[in-house]
Amino acid sequence: MSVLAEVSGNVTAIGYGLAAIGPGIGVGIIFGQGVQAIARQPEAYGLIRQNMLLGFVLTEALALIGLVAPFIFQNIGAA
Amino acid sequence: MSAQERRPENDGRDFADAMWSVPSSLLAGMAIYGGLGWLLDRWLGMSAFFPIGVVLGVVLGGYLVYRKFGR
Amino acid sequence: MNALTVLLAPAGDQFGAPTPEELFNLPPIIPGVYWFTKPVLLAMLSAVLVIGVTWAAFAKPKLVPRGVQNAVELGYMFVRDQVARPFLGKDADRWMGLLVSVFFLVLVWNLMGVVPVLQFPVASHIAFPAVLALVIYGLKVYLGIKHQGGVGYFKNMMFPPGLPKPIYFLLAPIEFLSNMIIAPFTHAVRLFANMFAGHMLLAFFSMVGFWFLFEKLTPLGAPVGVVGVVMTILLTGLEIFIQYLQAFLFAMLAAMYIGGSLHPEH
Repeated sequence: MSVLAEVSGNVTAIGYGLAAIGPGIGVGIIFGQGVQAIARQPEAYGLIRQNMLLGFVLTEALALIGLVAPFIFQNIGAA
Repeated sequence: MSAQERRPENDGRDFADAMWSVPSSLLAGMAIYGGLGWLLDRWLGMSAFFPIGVVLGVVLGGYLVYRKFGR
Repeated sequence: MNALTVLLAPAGDQFGAPTPEELFNLPPIIPGVYWFTKPVLLAMLSAVLVIGVTWAAFAKPKLVPRGVQNAVELGYMFVRDQVARPFLGKDADRWMGLLVSVFFLVLVWNLMGVVPVLQFPVASHIAFPAVLALVIYGLKVYLGIKHQGGVGYFKNMMFPPGLPKPIYFLLAPIEFLSNMIIAPFTHAVRLFANMFAGHMLLAFFSMVGFWFLFEKLTPLGAPVGVVGVVMTILLTGLEIFIQYLQAFLFAMLAAMYIGGSLHPEH
């Protein structure tokens, strides 16, 4: 059977692609729900904004850790 | 300055400022403390300080943004 | 000619995805003049186009706008209300010239990616957004030092008020790095990466359609080719939206940096 499709290149790129799925969904949820909350209750803007910021920081941190994870695991895996 | 700062039309600007500075602050924290850890690893011949530095940098960067913009 | 060499590139029986090398490393248009490639030509064309259109619109402005002036005024109003005023406040009108130029230039650069024959987003070579971002960065530092003083600018930047004292020792380097190096870098890279990825995506799906419907038409491959063509059409629409959005974000970040230098935070 002949090869139908093959992937060549660096595996860490796939790893970062997978690591970016979760934070992508998370950031979408945070901003979507945050905007909805502000629209429902504009007077609670300060509180909602503070919590949106906290959630965004925590989620973005995951995405950025995914970015450096290949460098961290470099000397453990292939070597 | 503080009277102008609290006007509602400045809220949007503040918010955008905060959200745009999150990724660059986290990246900067990771670069500085991860870099320090990496140098320590090279110096001592270990491989523990680089991950510790990366996580510490992310935490410090996030703390900085949260304290600066989240009142 | 360039499009043809790209489409004929994968020799043999197997479908090969386009590589960045063949999509972005284009040969010179005039043989021998090594710097004169397609992106350079398109960048010059876009500059001439922007200058020409704005000249035609605003050379003899009328009180009741008609024709070209009407259309360009719509863009000007958009930049003023959505980009300049929220970030610059009462200084907005002084900076409109720069912001309108940046917005329209980046927009036309990006739209070159979907214009049928040209089909190359200029900003997908990082040199072009990098130069724009460096100009904005120089302006930011110059304005900050001019309006807040040499020491005051760096003090306002590295020591934001409201934090416990001992932690400044840990946080000041982060602030410095994030403002001085990471911010201009991401400013350029955000535009570049979006245009690069968008061009790759469009090239890949249009090549899938071309390969499976024209080069190797088989009963099994034809549906894949149809999918490729449909995806190309859908993604072109998405790409036009992203190109407009990235031009807007580039101008917005420029306004944000300038505003942050004019008025120190809190």
